[in-house]
Amino acid sequence: MQSIGSAYVIQLFALFTIVEYSFLCYFFYIAFANKPTIKKAIPYIWVAFFILALVDYFFINQFKKFDSFSVGLESIIIIIMAITYLFLQIKTVNNLLIYSTFKFWVAVTFLINFSGTFFLYLMTESMYQDPEFQKLYFIINLSFNILKNILLSVAMCMKTNNIAKTTSLPPDFLDKDYIFNRPTN
Amino acid sequence: MYFLQAGDNNFGVSSVLILGTLGMFVMAITLISVLVFHQRRVIRFNKQIQKMEEERQQMLLRASIRFQEEERQRIAADLHDDAGPLLATARLYLNENLIHQEPASQLQSIFSAKQIIDDTIQLIRNISHSLMPPTLKNFGLEAAVKDQFDKINGSGAINASARFHDNRQRLNDEQELLVFRVIQELVTNIIKHSSAGFIHLTQNAQGNIVYFRIHHDGKGILQDQFDKLEYDSAGLGLKNIQSRIRVLKGKIFFEIDNTQTYYKVTIEVPRILSK
Repeated sequence: MQSIGSAYVIQLFALFTIVEYSFLCYFFYIAFANKPTIKKAIPYIWVAFFILALVDYFFINQFKKFDSFSVGLESIIIIIMAITYLFLQIKTVNNLLIYSTFKFWVAVTFLINFSGTFFLYLMTESMYQDPEFQKLYFIINLSFNILKNILLSVAMCMKTNNIAKTTSLPPDFLDKDYIFNRPTN
Repeated sequence: MYFLQAGDNNFGVSSVLILGTLGMFVMAITLISVLVFHQRRVIRFNKQIQKMEEERQQMLLRASIRFQEEERQRIAADLHDDAGPLLATARLYLNENLIHQEPASQLQSIFSAKQIIDDTIQLIRNISHSLMPPTLKNFGLEAAVKDQFDKINGSGAINASARFHDNRQRLNDEQELLVFRVIQELVTNIIKHSSAGFIHLTQNAQGNIVYFRIHHDGKGILQDQFDKLEYDSAGLGLKNIQSRIRVLKGKIFFEIDNTQTYYKVTIEVPRILSK
């Protein structure tokens, strides 16, 4: 935990935040394919976050402390995106259960993860030297990491199932009638 | 971060952190659960509506098939009970003609056979007219309705009249047949069930919609009763009316006038001009 204070680790955290946020934005950019307005807004939100994070890293925080501001902002944006995605999904009238898609599980994973770790990361910047906090940091962080991995595994299983369903379609040979393709002597 | 540091003094770091984390976690889980259960309920509701609609379609289809079967049975009975014996009798006369060679009796039996064949022709014509009224085919809906109403008037039991206000642009043949069948069914129902003393039909058009309204002074039904009967296994005639109205892409309304004296049935049909 003391290593959180070192500049090298803080730089890694900063990079991780930006990369993680970028990937999640890309995921929601794909997920909102049917909502052009939200889809168009996502790149602007990404740019705005990127600028704010850079300002925090270089002018306010200067890589001296944990990037609570960037992580907090990231959490809020991703939570809003996940909730919006889930609400739009239930508004869509179809008979497909919401939890039968992998996108639902990915959205749920990050909604739970960012909700659960929101306070933890917000407090890390100012409390990381407190031994009691350090204990809690590991417990909470690891618990939510495990939960995130479990939920992402479920999401991956969903994806695998979908692929399996596509491949279980009637095979091509049914279209090729033997009578018309039999070899002629 | 200031408020979190300030909270440290009062509650301790761990309390704030645990409560905050648990609160957020519970909120996220609750939100997800609500969304999932809500969606399940919506899907269940949609399926229920879909099932009801399928059942209704089935019922209409079954009613339509039953109606066709009844019509076939009626034609079969007419042919078997009326045309069959008549033709058999004519055959007997002709057979007798072969046995008795006397010209006088031959002439008599040929005359009788001719009479019977004439009756049979008339009978077959009647059956054919009941299937497709020639007046409708040749002169259109107005003439067919008036002809029908004249026949009803002829019975003397009920006073029937019809007035067409705007029939310059006729409906197409298929629509006219469907409207005629609906009017026929409604009039039959009024005669059978309402004990009415008069029936009056008014036709008018506004824009692209043609309206037919039947007034009668008997005991009628209202819209909610009609809607209920549509889901009932009984009421074959009303189901046929509903099917035909649906094919016409029209509407039908069952009402009573403000004075509670006359029942009104209004049919709205969008006009597709005859080619």
